[in-house]
Amino acid sequence: MAATIRRLGLASGWLLVSLISLLPSLGIVVGLWPPEQITFADIRPFLAYQGLSTSVFMTLFSAIFSTLISLYIAFMVYSQYHLSRRLQSFEKYLAPLLSLPHLAVALGLVFLFSNGSLFFVDSGLPRKGLSTLIIAIVIKEVPFFLLIFSAIGRQLPIKYWLLQGKALGYQDYRCWWFLVFPPLLKQSRLALLAATAYTLSVVDISFLVGPNIPELFAVSMYRWQTSFGIGDQALAFWANVLLLGLLVLSIVALYAHEKLLFIACKNWAVLGSTIRLGIINRLFVAWLPMTGVLTLLMVMVFALWSFGANWQTDGNLLASLHTRLWQDEWLFFSLPLQNSVLIGLVAGLLGVACALLALELQRRRGVYLPDYYWLLAILLPQLSMVLGWQVSHIWLEGSYHSAWIILSHLPFTFAYAYLVLKGPFQSIEPRYELLAASFGYSYWQCWYKVRFRLLLPAVLSAFAITFSVSVAQYIPTLMIGAGRVTTITTEAVAIGTGSQQDVMALYILLQSVLPFVAFLMAALLAQRFRGSVDVKAH
Amino acid sequence: MLKLIDCQIDATGWEIKIPDIQLGKGELLVITGPSGIGKSTLLHWLLGNIPRHVNISGKILIDDIDVSQQAIERRHIGLLMQDVYLFPHLSVQDNICFALPKDTHFSSKKQRRIEAMRMLEQINLAHLGERYPQNLSGGERSRVGLVRALANKPKVMLLDEPFAALDPTNREQVGRWAFQQLAQQHIPSIMVTHDKNDIPESAKQLNLADFFLQKDQHQISLDRNNP
Repeated sequence: MAATIRRLGLASGWLLVSLISLLPSLGIVVGLWPPEQITFADIRPFLAYQGLSTSVFMTLFSAIFSTLISLYIAFMVYSQYHLSRRLQSFEKYLAPLLSLPHLAVALGLVFLFSNGSLFFVDSGLPRKGLSTLIIAIVIKEVPFFLLIFSAIGRQLPIKYWLLQGKALGYQDYRCWWFLVFPPLLKQSRLALLAATAYTLSVVDISFLVGPNIPELFAVSMYRWQTSFGIGDQALAFWANVLLLGLLVLSIVALYAHEKLLFIACKNWAVLGSTIRLGIINRLFVAWLPMTGVLTLLMVMVFALWSFGANWQTDGNLLASLHTRLWQDEWLFFSLPLQNSVLIGLVAGLLGVACALLALELQRRRGVYLPDYYWLLAILLPQLSMVLGWQVSHIWLEGSYHSAWIILSHLPFTFAYAYLVLKGPFQSIEPRYELLAASFGYSYWQCWYKVRFRLLLPAVLSAFAITFSVSVAQYIPTLMIGAGRVTTITTEAVAIGTGSQQDVMALYILLQSVLPFVAFLMAALLAQRFRGSVDVKAH
Repeated sequence: MLKLIDCQIDATGWEIKIPDIQLGKGELLVITGPSGIGKSTLLHWLLGNIPRHVNISGKILIDDIDVSQQAIERRHIGLLMQDVYLFPHLSVQDNICFALPKDTHFSSKKQRRIEAMRMLEQINLAHLGERYPQNLSGGERSRVGLVRALANKPKVMLLDEPFAALDPTNREQVGRWAFQQLAQQHIPSIMVTHDKNDIPESAKQLNLADFFLQKDQHQISLDRNNP
């Protein structure tokens, strides 16, 4: 009897995690299923759409370029901090940098550096343009890659490779490029793909800071998807096909880049080259403190705007501050704020719980499935997935309730939780549980009292990340909720397309504060559990 | 020739004053002592990898040139550890190419690969050239590690328990072969080991415990086996 219950429990566990991990593929398949009225003839108006080729080229370029630039910057930053005593501070920097949503970074750049900005100097950064978008994405992706490198780096004997390289007469920076970069690059494949897929289909920041004529491909596709105009659904269908084509093209480009770099590094290594390319590494010591200061400035400028700071007055800036806007807007932002927090909490917690379940089930089986299977939600373009979900949602006659929004956030929170928890989970010494079992504790008691307790700080960090991921979701919230469930993010984008800069600042400030609070609380709570394994400790 | 002068390990609570050491071409010095006494730390200091938890002072002369203040990459000292850390993204042959001196003799990729193969052939390991480190046995990895270190034409070789991971049969074989190679190439070497069986008869020995001093106390034992 007990054995049957256990088997049933295991089977339902597998069923649950399989369903969540298959939702992304389901979305893609349903999205690619041609609606009855669409024929091959419809591809002609799509291909003839004005500005399509420029738009597609800009999208592909921004996705691959921003990913690779972020990769190189992150590698050079990592090479400066790895093994150094400043490593501690390097990891402390990451959490707040990671917590600031993409949208806040993009608008922060505009608020700080665009025409009519805080500094009254025209830095040449356009209010809307490809360069602004790429810079915003690079600022956000560098800490993401650093987190990934930090996790990979702890599993590679980098210290000894460097020592051997130096003993053989190579300078530090050459050892980094010739010996550390190739293996690190190979293991960062999924992270690179995730970053590229994100930029390919990101809509919210493309809306607000991306170029206008022509707009980025994801924005056009989103407009067709949500339009009732004649022929727009056909355009949306073919756009979806093309977007997936772009993903394939990006994979090919990333793979080609890896191969080329591998050959180059190998050649330099075999030749014992004295190439000087790596000397610039040293400049990147300043990267993290600089982005730290930038983040602070961004939050500060949002706060000042929301309190009505007027840059044009000659008098004391602080004296002109008031809370009028906050009082006026409270009525409007309290519900979206409540929705964001509630959806974030539930989707975040469920994501972490399901990731732990998936890890435990695999540990019991003794075989771990490849990472890409669990991380599909962040490796595939969001827009294509959500299109399929939206079709299924309508087909199921689902209501516009927060529960559906939570379900649409779950694949993303699950994937991020899995990404950050896998390392710490696997690094826990199984003999601890063996020892606990010898004291008479049952399987689940051992799991909860030993493994879970040891993992708690990592779980808290993972929750802060999943909460931030959920808060920042735009496309799933809008498309599944059909605009009826508003969150701070959907409101921020809606207001961001208007011209009220002070209201925009208020919503973006709220959007940035939410994840920051989550990270702060996770960090404070984690301090109470000594001797455990944190996300960063792996 | 390697000379160590006025060398001293300084830690909180204890210190070790090492007697001056002189090693001629092809000579081997074996450093022994209990765990935690600083054998490996001393070796890493010789290499130029400055330890953080203890302070080591002294002069290192290689062919009468003081290298104590030089960076690792300028000292021409080779290091062989228990795990030889062959670079996983390079084949055996390319690992050796990486170590070959960067002079005009081997300026092209082809020349360097030929030289690497020649070195492997000399010790009957040519069949491993195309393989990657992951596909080598423990003994093969140790041998390739030594070939790689020798390819760099080091002036001194340091061995940090190099055979500890090998099974007894392999250990003896690889060990004998390694010392023979080092002697043939006239390289003065220093080895740290726990196992007395690893020590060849001809080697000089230095037991660090003999020079261990608890601070503010008397020297625990008197100098002996001073090489």
